[in-house]
Amino acid sequence: MNSNVSRKDFLTPTWILIAAGLVAGGAVGLYEMFFGHLFATNSSLVWTLPLVTYIFLALMSTGVSLILAYGLIMKDEAITRHTRALLIMAIGMLLGGFTALATELGSLLNMVWILLSPNPSSPIWWMGTLYSIELVLLAVKLVLDLKGRHGVFDLPLAWGTLLIAAAAAITIGAVFGTVIGRPDYHGAFLSVITLVSALVSGAAAIVLLRPQSALTETAGRIFRQTALLFAGLLLVRVAYEAHSTVVGMLGWASIWMLVPFILALVLLQYAPRILAFIGILGVLWVQYSFIITGQLVSLGQTAHWYGAVQSYQPNIPEALILVLGVAVAAALIKLGGQFLMDERPPAT
Amino acid sequence: MGYGMVIDQQLCVGCAACTIACKIENNTPVGFNWCDKITRTSGKFPAVRYEYISTMCNHCDNAPCVAACPTQAMYKDRQTGLTLHDTKKCIGCKACIVNCPYGVISFNWERPHQHWAQRDRLAEGCFSPREMLEESGGEGSPHGNPERGTTYPVVRPAGSVEKCTFCDHRLVKGLAPACVDACPSGARQFGDIDDPNSEVSKLVARHGGKGLREELGTRPRVIYIRDYKPQRRFEPARPAGENQGA
Repeated sequence: MNSNVSRKDFLTPTWILIAAGLVAGGAVGLYEMFFGHLFATNSSLVWTLPLVTYIFLALMSTGVSLILAYGLIMKDEAITRHTRALLIMAIGMLLGGFTALATELGSLLNMVWILLSPNPSSPIWWMGTLYSIELVLLAVKLVLDLKGRHGVFDLPLAWGTLLIAAAAAITIGAVFGTVIGRPDYHGAFLSVITLVSALVSGAAAIVLLRPQSALTETAGRIFRQTALLFAGLLLVRVAYEAHSTVVGMLGWASIWMLVPFILALVLLQYAPRILAFIGILGVLWVQYSFIITGQLVSLGQTAHWYGAVQSYQPNIPEALILVLGVAVAAALIKLGGQFLMDERPPAT
Repeated sequence: MGYGMVIDQQLCVGCAACTIACKIENNTPVGFNWCDKITRTSGKFPAVRYEYISTMCNHCDNAPCVAACPTQAMYKDRQTGLTLHDTKKCIGCKACIVNCPYGVISFNWERPHQHWAQRDRLAEGCFSPREMLEESGGEGSPHGNPERGTTYPVVRPAGSVEKCTFCDHRLVKGLAPACVDACPSGARQFGDIDDPNSEVSKLVARHGGKGLREELGTRPRVIYIRDYKPQRRFEPARPAGENQGA
């Protein structure tokens, strides 16, 4: 633990940006939870940018967890040397995602109730339960690491995190893939997309936020490989949508979605952090596109109210929830870096 | 035992009395219709066809909203076959809305009927909405039906979904749902659709019929019989003397 943190460490451009995000996004989140409704939603289009924010951050956290677990299991020192930093990153991102979700659900208590009244047939129940277990496992690993207790529990914990994280990412896809009667939400493909997008965004986040030569090389390799896989999956989806005869399908994939991942594949060594950032934006675009598109076709009587096909643009409050989720994650990662790391990062 | 509804498309005149009756009975907020409609226009002039399909929760046997609800807030009542909702367990995740293939579940993004809490008067000497509410003693709105509150909150809370219950508060008193009683043409029949001797089962046996989007395997309990055909306008749906209603 680092006790030499001073007020000066918080008077940096990064912290000012984070504070601005927390204040602006927090104000919107509190208003939405306690006073009124600001989001661009209706009874037919219910999952919008705030939910996308949760899924984006939760999956990115999952990706970081998976890569760390892989490193611990394979005893890859390029990864295991940064165990604490990666744990802080994964926890920060997951809590940032939970913050966005809380504004979407209207109350933090609602996230607890999900565990107390379980319905095992519901993918959302499994998602909530798996991410709760994931958070506990990450916290246990962090505490053990801070206390310097390594040994017999390390490998079982790594395997546990790997399995729970992979299951959680797959279950997020199942939340959409098990829906019936919506042409753009169906099938196991969405679970594959969420799992691979978790790996792509997690690896990209490590390259972006932890620029250390050996780690960047390992995470960069994983980023390139998973970006290639992701681009391949998107290409399959583009081809499928082009030939699909499913009535009412709008299609969420675009050939342009491949660009960030092909760029990363080819040019990563020249500008790793910039291309990692572009890759993360690319993943956000894909997740946003499939989550929103699936709800744009109005079902049944809602077509009378909102038109047969809706259009959606996030409004400013929704964009600020994205800012809030990212700011919470960034604040926790920065705080972890300043207070919990032995080697403190330079003040930025 | 399992309640179900039969809607005779030959008899339905599209007057929307069911929609209005439902709103009054269940105190639904502005913009929410538990009982609503799908309209379809097809064909080419002069052979144009217009369909009016009255819709509501189908109380599916294999309800996707129940399967998707993470907290069992949406549940099947084993005794009646109804798909019901417990607002106390609802966490506002909206999984039921996304999973319902019929678009019949609404979400309270804000506290419903809040315009009735306003104290501003339109003109001096008038009642304010708040004063009207207090004068009437209604819950949420002056027209809040207290009997609704016996099985489901009269005003569903913010952050909770709401939907048709087949007027379960009326069923326990032996009454039919409000939409059935309000239908001027007798197009809606209600009863125990699991009992082959019930009126609704006989209608289905006689005319066939099907639910909406049956291909999805939801097994809806609202069955539509007889597409409208002008030439059989005066053909009775039921033999004379048979009972009507629940």
